[in-house]
Amino acid sequence: MSNPFIRLEEVSKSFGLLTVVEGLNLEIGKGEFISLLGPSGSGKTTILMMLAGFEHPTSGAIWAGGKRIDSLPPHRRNMGVVFQNYALFPHMTVSENVAFPLKMRGLPRAEVTERVGRALDMVQLGSLAERRPSQLSGGQQQRVALARALIFEPEVVLMDEPLGALDKQLREQMQLDIRDLHRRIELTIVFVTHDQSEALTMSDRIAIFNRGKIEQIGKPSEIYDHPSTQFVAEFIGETNLIHGSVQSIEGGTARVQLPGGQEVFVETTTNLCPNGSVCLSIRPERIKVGRREVASNKITAAISDVVYHGDHLRLVARSDGQALVIKTDRSQPTLSIGEEVQLSFLPSDCWVVRP
Amino acid sequence: MSPIGLRKQLISLVLVGPLLLFLIFFFAFPLVTMMKSAVSDPVAARALPATARAVASWDRVSPPTDAIMAAFVTDIRQINDDQLFGDLVRRLNSAKSGFRTLMTKTRTTLSEGTGSIDLIAVDKRWGDPSYWQAVSVAASSTITDRNLLAAVDLQRDTSNAITALPADASANRAIMLRTFVMALTVTVACVLIGLPFAMIAASVDGWKRQLLLGAVLLPLWTSLLVRTAAWFILLQDTGLINSVLMQLGVTSGPVPLIFNRAGVIIAMTHVLLPFMVLPIFSVLIGIPKNLMPAAASLGAHPVRAFLNVLLPLTLRGVVSGSLLVFMSALGYYITPALIGGAKDQMISSVIAYYATGAANWGMAGALGLVLLAATMILYAIYLRLSSEREVRP
Amino acid sequence: MNVLRFSKLVFGSATVFFLIAPLIAILPLAFTDSVFLNYPIPGYSTRWFEELFTASVWQRSIVNSLIIGCGTTLLATVLGTVGALGLRDRQLSLVLTTVKTIFLLPMVVPAVVLGVGMQLMFARYGLTNTYLGVIIAHTVVAVPFVVVNVLAVLQGIDRRLEQAAASLGAAPVTVLKQVTLPLALPGIVSGAVFAFATSLDEVVLTLFVAGPNQRTLARQMFSTIRENISPAIAAAAFVFIVGTVLIAVVLNLSRRTMAAKI
Repeated sequence: MSNPFIRLEEVSKSFGLLTVVEGLNLEIGKGEFISLLGPSGSGKTTILMMLAGFEHPTSGAIWAGGKRIDSLPPHRRNMGVVFQNYALFPHMTVSENVAFPLKMRGLPRAEVTERVGRALDMVQLGSLAERRPSQLSGGQQQRVALARALIFEPEVVLMDEPLGALDKQLREQMQLDIRDLHRRIELTIVFVTHDQSEALTMSDRIAIFNRGKIEQIGKPSEIYDHPSTQFVAEFIGETNLIHGSVQSIEGGTARVQLPGGQEVFVETTTNLCPNGSVCLSIRPERIKVGRREVASNKITAAISDVVYHGDHLRLVARSDGQALVIKTDRSQPTLSIGEEVQLSFLPSDCWVVRP
Repeated sequence: MSPIGLRKQLISLVLVGPLLLFLIFFFAFPLVTMMKSAVSDPVAARALPATARAVASWDRVSPPTDAIMAAFVTDIRQINDDQLFGDLVRRLNSAKSGFRTLMTKTRTTLSEGTGSIDLIAVDKRWGDPSYWQAVSVAASSTITDRNLLAAVDLQRDTSNAITALPADASANRAIMLRTFVMALTVTVACVLIGLPFAMIAASVDGWKRQLLLGAVLLPLWTSLLVRTAAWFILLQDTGLINSVLMQLGVTSGPVPLIFNRAGVIIAMTHVLLPFMVLPIFSVLIGIPKNLMPAAASLGAHPVRAFLNVLLPLTLRGVVSGSLLVFMSALGYYITPALIGGAKDQMISSVIAYYATGAANWGMAGALGLVLLAATMILYAIYLRLSSEREVRP
Repeated sequence: MNVLRFSKLVFGSATVFFLIAPLIAILPLAFTDSVFLNYPIPGYSTRWFEELFTASVWQRSIVNSLIIGCGTTLLATVLGTVGALGLRDRQLSLVLTTVKTIFLLPMVVPAVVLGVGMQLMFARYGLTNTYLGVIIAHTVVAVPFVVVNVLAVLQGIDRRLEQAAASLGAAPVTVLKQVTLPLALPGIVSGAVFAFATSLDEVVLTLFVAGPNQRTLARQMFSTIRENISPAIAAAAFVFIVGTVLIAVVLNLSRRTMAAKI
């Protein structure tokens, strides 16, 4: 990335003997919405804390806006932080909470009152200005936290799983609101979450973390369609992983033999060695089920389970000891357990993943 | 440590600094002063400098030389400070009685003249080498183990070996034993009442538990003096308890409950019971509720389940509480002083007497040192136990 | 009701009675009109309360107690709160753990021992027979209560609130002023109350360090009980007990309203 706005350079963080982040290199562009996605303990929150200044890297450097910031105390970094449990000051009213950063910057009282009023109106909480946080619902507290973190117009906003405590509907609404906000203001957002669907819907780029390292970083579609490792393939969306051995490679297509003898063709750009073993990832919704083949890859399998999901059906089919999950719409003729079917998919639908 | 970590440590140290300095100066320093007074003894060395130098070479067996006597005369004549003289006399007198009259007489006689003088002519006791031995011992050391030994009813005889004090001067061991026994009695009483009570409190909930806990906490909050005063009033021969007993016809005359051991034990148990109940209670509510049912499901009869499951778990709390109660009871002053008779005084009263009554700071310090040491050892054990509890999940 | 429940009831009630009855039994005696502290009470009057508040020896001791109590509360609360702030980390270094133990030691050391030492040392520095000396002595034994109370509350404060304040531009001292101390206030207040109660109740150290002009109420009560017991004691006990109950109720209520607000 040319001229990144935020740069983490060889950043490591250990707590005693436990290394949480190792040799991290990450560049974030101005105005970008990047999600740090991963299971708990993968180090993503620690990275956010280091950006905010609440933790210090054991080694490495952090740059923002061209200046090195890793020794700058948090109250001088001018970054908005939205915490997981909102961290609203319980002994202050909503308007006092939102006014706090402006007070810290010494703005005159009239201006503070005016800007607080506007900020609360923007998140539709104007009528609750004099309430205490404990009197608000989770969603309302969330919006106050957001307003408080944005009112001093920071260039970067760090969000640590801010929607985790909300129920599904509210969460989805807030996701849209935040995305909308990002489009309107040129804001750089670093968003930590363990919810992969959240990351997919909101981000410009996703960095997937596993045990303190980035497994893959890229646009949501890249990560979804072309996961680079088994971990990423399984973490984002659902996938089927099948193992086989490479028989031959021609052009950009490899012929892979599955245990049991069946063969499939895979489009790949990776350097594969013949007779080497590979792992293939195929998304459940890419597999077509039928009594006849419909695409160039076909696997014969027997249905072992049919699960009804309202708007789609999920089928589990077994072939040569491997189980595959297929997501199909309800236009499918009804299949029975034990029935033999043909599973078909294109060579571009499956992807080689590293273990 | 990283520079950030170092900075945080430094800030913490700066924050704890003021209180730490305050306590070092006004808490640690007084304790050290007390301990020093237990072993210090500069009076004679200060008052009799020449004598001190003269007796340095004396073997304390052969009769005192003329040089020694002359030095002594010089020293006595030079003492202008009456307070110092009084301290000197007290010091010598506590080593060997008879010095008081001897010294007063000697000083008066010596002040009338200026030339050399025959001390034995002044008073024939100066011919008795034991008096000179006492002077010599007193003058030649600024630290002494006299008080510490006396604290346990020991002394050094004239040949500097350690022997027992004569029976009429040996009260300390008896008092320490008495203190120990009383503290132990109170502790046992607290266990007998407090353990079942804590178990009852842990087994009920809602308003009943609040009531039981409140009954324990309210006395704790109330001033110690007030509680002791309440018992003082109630335990009198004409007090409420005796009136009720006589009204009910249980006894025909008043039962002596005050100024005796029974009253002190009752009052101290009342005061210290919360310190037993609360630790046991907190241990009990940490025990999962389904443990006893689990034991029952495995075939344990309720009594066996109690003995094999509940009691061992409770034991931690009982030991904690007992240490706390015992430690506090050892050092108690107010309650035994007000409610006990002469034969119920604990070691704290003796210390107070030596300090404020007899101004014998040496003995006060020595006995205080013994009490302090005992308390600190118990506290160390208590800390060990409670930190062990935190380590286990 | 089976045997177990019955015996629980009997034992529990008996013990509650043992714990509370002495405090309650002494209350009516404050209103006796006789010079003796016996039941049955011959007649009722408030003469002992009058004596308590008008007799010069009692009045002086009450005033002294208030002066010394307030001084102790101020000194102990300030020192204790600052000290507790230094100890709030969950993982303390060895040095700080030792410091914490030292802070709590005055609760453990027998008062007589401390009193002897204090008298010796204070005499050397001219602190005996002064208000300052008594205040210092009381502060030594009161400060552990402040530390315990404030520390308990501090450790319950969500660190993220302080981090949030910093992220919004508050310098560390401002965070302390705007967030930490206001949230720690319940602990500071209850610590101060404990400090005051401890000072009020302190007899042993006062015996050693105070002169006749600094006689506190507790000291006076002690002498009165020892030398010539009078129902004024019962009146003083009444004031103490009722005061304690009131303070406990007020603290409880205020803690609940403070918790409800937060």
